[in-house]
Amino acid sequence: MTTTMNNNNETDRSEITKKDLRRAASRYNFMAVNLFNYESQMGPAVAWSLAPILRKIYKNDDDYQQALDNHFNYFNSTTVMSSIILGATTAMEAKDGIQSKDAVQSLKTSLMGPLAGVGDTLVWVLWPTIIGSISGYMALQGNPLGAIIWLIANIAFWFIKVKMFEVGYTSGTKLVTSLGSKMTLFTEAASIMGLSVVGALIATVVKVQTPLKFAFGKVSLSLQNGVFDKIMPALLPALLTLLVYKLLGNKKWTPTRIILLVIVIALAGSFFGIFKA
Amino acid sequence: MSGIQLLQDIVIILLAGYMTIDQNGLVIMSWFPVIVGMISGLIMGDMHTGLIIGGTFQLMMLGVAALGGASAPNYGLATIVGVFVAVRTGAGIKAAIAVGLPVGLIAIQLEVLARIISNFLAHKMQTDNEAHQWHKMRREAWLGPILFSLQTALPTALVVLVGPQVVKFILAAVPKWVTNGLTIAGGMLPVVGIGMLMHYMPVKKFLPYIIVGFVLAAYLKIPVLGIALVGFAGAYWYFTSESRKADKAAAVTTTGAPTEEEDDDYDE
Repeated sequence: MTTTMNNNNETDRSEITKKDLRRAASRYNFMAVNLFNYESQMGPAVAWSLAPILRKIYKNDDDYQQALDNHFNYFNSTTVMSSIILGATTAMEAKDGIQSKDAVQSLKTSLMGPLAGVGDTLVWVLWPTIIGSISGYMALQGNPLGAIIWLIANIAFWFIKVKMFEVGYTSGTKLVTSLGSKMTLFTEAASIMGLSVVGALIATVVKVQTPLKFAFGKVSLSLQNGVFDKIMPALLPALLTLLVYKLLGNKKWTPTRIILLVIVIALAGSFFGIFKA
Repeated sequence: MSGIQLLQDIVIILLAGYMTIDQNGLVIMSWFPVIVGMISGLIMGDMHTGLIIGGTFQLMMLGVAALGGASAPNYGLATIVGVFVAVRTGAGIKAAIAVGLPVGLIAIQLEVLARIISNFLAHKMQTDNEAHQWHKMRREAWLGPILFSLQTALPTALVVLVGPQVVKFILAAVPKWVTNGLTIAGGMLPVVGIGMLMHYMPVKKFLPYIIVGFVLAAYLKIPVLGIALVGFAGAYWYFTSESRKADKAAAVTTTGAPTEEEDDDYDE
């Protein structure tokens, strides 16, 4: 296999093949956060993943060392977006060699943030929330279909991530920068879909119910059916959501602390018979 | 202990270790509770229980994402431990939540610890690069996934080794209001992820869409996929109309010509 990936009229001096690109991409989409540290985050994983392809580009030992050193720097983005970015920087390095070092670094740092904003929203928030609530309810009824579909989709996503590296390499920096302009709009549109789902989840997934009853002589009125449900269905879940949303706005209340708070409230509610499962 | 049980013990610990490596890179099984629950159920020989526990933790986890290097409770680990205890002791779903949830919360600390240790590895690799020891550098990298796999393999191994009988004994000693309270907490906990989602997204700008989703679900009982489709319609409309506006605005700034519908420009 000797398909050389040439970019218009650029001269390809290092004969980077599709196989090399796929290898770099699958190395990255395996290692990603598996070398994570608080100082350079994904940096070491990037250096390790690109090592074979960079060795092919840099025949000179000192150039190779410098190029690797450059990639050890701080980096973090959603893997699908990193694949595009790193594909593009690899093309720059294949074309200009070690002179591209600073340009590579600045392209990485300027794009990883904005692209992670979009990528994380889609990959880690929107998609797992929608497929998670569908497959979660299916699983509760003992139906594995949702879980299986999710698993198959994840396999397909992996191939897409690997492919994105090639896309980044061939379309180069032009694509990556033009992606940036429409991205904000795209993220906003995705948030609209996400927020509709969030509204639905508040009403269906969050469960708060009270068994309390008012007794007036012989007549008793269930607080849940007779009062809360009459005002609005899912009133208590909506109020709890509002409370947690407000608390999360305060830096002191980390998600973990709020989880503990919810557990304490639930335990107290169970002890005093205020809430029922 | 029968040979089958020993084999299950080993495979379940390996699965727990692999889960973190997968979540950190491949994202095929990842730590998503329904998938993890289905697989651990198959290993333990009771997929039905696996799915129900996975489904329970999945709903708790909705919206919880570990973004930008942050840590989040490990509901995947909670699922593995829960499925193991529930199937092995026959103690049921409530027991699975009572054991799984605390283990998943404690695992956050182990993740932080692993990431601190991994800093030394990063420096070692960098030093090897400077010394032109590339073969060594590339080999050392494999310590990363091994280190991270421990953050879930160790707690699982602990539960497996301490033995489900001990876990069952402890559970029997726990008063009923506690296990009940944890079940109630399980119903409430999705609120945390939902609250986090609302903070990632421009809630104030798009508040009407939350209300639409809520009304469709609470009053009209439309399933979530249907509401997602309504949301998609809104998103599509927003994207096309706004990008038309943006293109027009760009055309105006380049040519300097006035727009036909000037009243539209005062929306923002």
